[in-house]
Amino acid sequence: MADEKKSKQRHRVMVLESMYPVVALMLILVACVELCDAATVVDVYRLIQYDISGVPFGSRFSSLNHHAASLSFQRGADLSRSVLILPLRELDIGFVQDYISQKQSLGGLLILLPQTFRPGNVGGGSQSSENDGFRNLLAQLEKLLVHGNIPFPVYFAFENEDTDAMLADVKKNDALGQQATATTGGYKLVISVSEPRKIASPTITNIQGWLPGSRADGDSNQLPTIAVVASYDTFGAAPALSVGSDSNGSGVVSLLEVARLFSILYSNPKTRGRYNLLFALTSGGPYNYEGTQKWLKSLDQRMRESIDYAICLNSIGSWDNELLIHVSKPPDNAYIKQIFEGFSNVAEDLGFQVALKHKKINISNSRVAWEHEQFSRLRVTAATLSELSTPPELLENTGSLSDTRQLVNEDAIIKGVKLVAESLAKHIYGHQGKDIKIFADDSSLAVNPFYVRSWLDLLSQTPRVAPFLSKNDPLIMALKKELEDYTAEVSVQHESLDGSFTFYDSTKASLNIYQVASVTFDLLLLLVLGSYLIVLFSFLVITTRGLDDLISLFRRPPSRKVKMA
Amino acid sequence: MTLFHFFNCAILTFGPHAVYYSATPLSEYDTLGTSVKAAVVYLATALVKLVCLATFLQVSETEVFDPYQEALKAMIGFIDVAGLYYALAQLTHRNISQNHKFQAVGLGWAFADSVLHRLAPLWVGARGLEFTWDYVLQGLEANANLVFTISLAALGSLMWLRKNKPKSLIPIIYTCAVIIATMPSITSYLKRVMGWHFPKIVGFELVTSLVMAFISCQLFILCQRPSL
Repeated sequence: MADEKKSKQRHRVMVLESMYPVVALMLILVACVELCDAATVVDVYRLIQYDISGVPFGSRFSSLNHHAASLSFQRGADLSRSVLILPLRELDIGFVQDYISQKQSLGGLLILLPQTFRPGNVGGGSQSSENDGFRNLLAQLEKLLVHGNIPFPVYFAFENEDTDAMLADVKKNDALGQQATATTGGYKLVISVSEPRKIASPTITNIQGWLPGSRADGDSNQLPTIAVVASYDTFGAAPALSVGSDSNGSGVVSLLEVARLFSILYSNPKTRGRYNLLFALTSGGPYNYEGTQKWLKSLDQRMRESIDYAICLNSIGSWDNELLIHVSKPPDNAYIKQIFEGFSNVAEDLGFQVALKHKKINISNSRVAWEHEQFSRLRVTAATLSELSTPPELLENTGSLSDTRQLVNEDAIIKGVKLVAESLAKHIYGHQGKDIKIFADDSSLAVNPFYVRSWLDLLSQTPRVAPFLSKNDPLIMALKKELEDYTAEVSVQHESLDGSFTFYDSTKASLNIYQVASVTFDLLLLLVLGSYLIVLFSFLVITTRGLDDLISLFRRPPSRKVKMA
Repeated sequence: MTLFHFFNCAILTFGPHAVYYSATPLSEYDTLGTSVKAAVVYLATALVKLVCLATFLQVSETEVFDPYQEALKAMIGFIDVAGLYYALAQLTHRNISQNHKFQAVGLGWAFADSVLHRLAPLWVGARGLEFTWDYVLQGLEANANLVFTISLAALGSLMWLRKNKPKSLIPIIYTCAVIIATMPSITSYLKRVMGWHFPKIVGFELVTSLVMAFISCQLFILCQRPSL
């Protein structure tokens, strides 16, 4: 008997042990079928997250798993577990400001932008007044979000049919007072990304192209140099959408076109001027032009001293009649006078005006508003050509969400290119005062509008926030190759963005929109099914065995007791 | 609460089979073995059908109703009937009355059909966050299928196991059996040509199943009278 029992036990144990791998496999299978098959998936772009000297700014969180709510919610409702969906068309800046300043808790914020602000969207420039209104609103919103410390995730998305349908549904539900929570169904928005991490040692890359002039025989002195500089990187509320067509895509395009024109002139020794030309595409523009400063410091001292003057290009894509030259040396300085006269004469010929604006540099203030100030701090004469009349604040006018392709006017850029090229040529070849047009239309040196347009379109689809550009980013390689085509020597300088700015990654994600049923619905369904099965059971028992059997099912215990007694 | 929804749909899909087994005298006579054998026969039939479909059918890209393809599918569907015949007539069962035999076979057949066709989509789909009515409708379809299969088994047992049938009823029996056997083709015709959506089709199936069940029940009773 004992032996039998033991063998049975052993048998049982063996059976159990052999079941373990099967059970484990089943558990793994169960766990692996992780589902994310939402009805709708939308691309969303996160608000930037950065620190300045340790002070946090922007949205500090990235993952999202809450129900959707719209602006029609009841006042006083608790939104800390909801995502508020704000279409730009119905945005109330005051409301957002209140929410942020009073530090009210919110599960998340999803801002829906009209399709016209999408980077690849070229058409639709005609409904301008409505778009202008949106642009202003967007600029205000961006300023608010970029300079605030927001303890919930903020995402931007573009309106499409799915989001419109969802928003209409959510509004309807909210208006009825049924706010979406776990028990009342509705829409659930899920973005599953890991927590954002600091970008360790972000790099800024400066690209310079050197076009040497012709040295007369027997002339041992260093030739003077003229520099044309533009910063190519951007900064905006949504780094994955910061294409900065005007600030500073227009500057980059103009620089490339000027380089192309002068490379044609300089390729022929007979037309090569007695000036060297230095073209520089600098990075780190929004961060007090840190890249420009590092680039200047890395230049050979003699080369720096040979720079006659530098022209910095900043936002020259959307002006009509007047361009501004910003200087930091006083206007009655001889060099400044000469530069300004040269520019204004050419401008007159071309049919518009240039004005001179002077802003003194405050050495104690670390804020560098214009690129030429970095040159002036190192005693190089420089000026910035721009359509902006007031110096931009920190992180302003650096390629915001509203700065899309439609804001830029190709003709304005072409006029700017002509201005810079003719003025430089007049200075280089000594034609001041003479009425000679070198880069006339219909000549072989005409400004090429197709070139301008194609580069502008490319830049308007490429977000260029410096910490997110790797050292060998395709854009940097493309700019380098372009300068290599037009200049003799190109060098690329990688620096790390030190100083006070720290950035965090996770700029783009996919939003899954689920339509969920509430718990009450599931319970109701369970109730209905339970009663259906009970009815089915009783029906079958009655029809096959008779009603007596059904009643006897419930009366069995007493009859057993009777039997035992 | 998505596992909850999965649970709900599972009891809708598979509950009626269990209820049928326990409510009717099938459980008293312990006909589980018959049902299991019928399920195994269904498995084999499904395999054969699969091979035939793969060999003879062309997969069309669009949802166009091609009469030849549908006729071919219907013919292959008759393999189902052959399988049912084998399960009813050829397999040896313990001594159970004809009445219970067809019910047990039909139950086992329908249960295997539900598990094979509906368990995997249910497991994968109903547990997601997204809510759709699809799985509830699928459960209702499983119910309709159960009724259809039992009716078909009843008619099958009438056709093959009962020797003395009133002559007048034979054509009706065969017509009903043909209608039930070609139900898949009918539903696919409705879906593609008439453009009916899933809820409508499921409703149609439920109604038809009840009608067919009623008719086959009446036929069964009518055929039972002479032997009484």
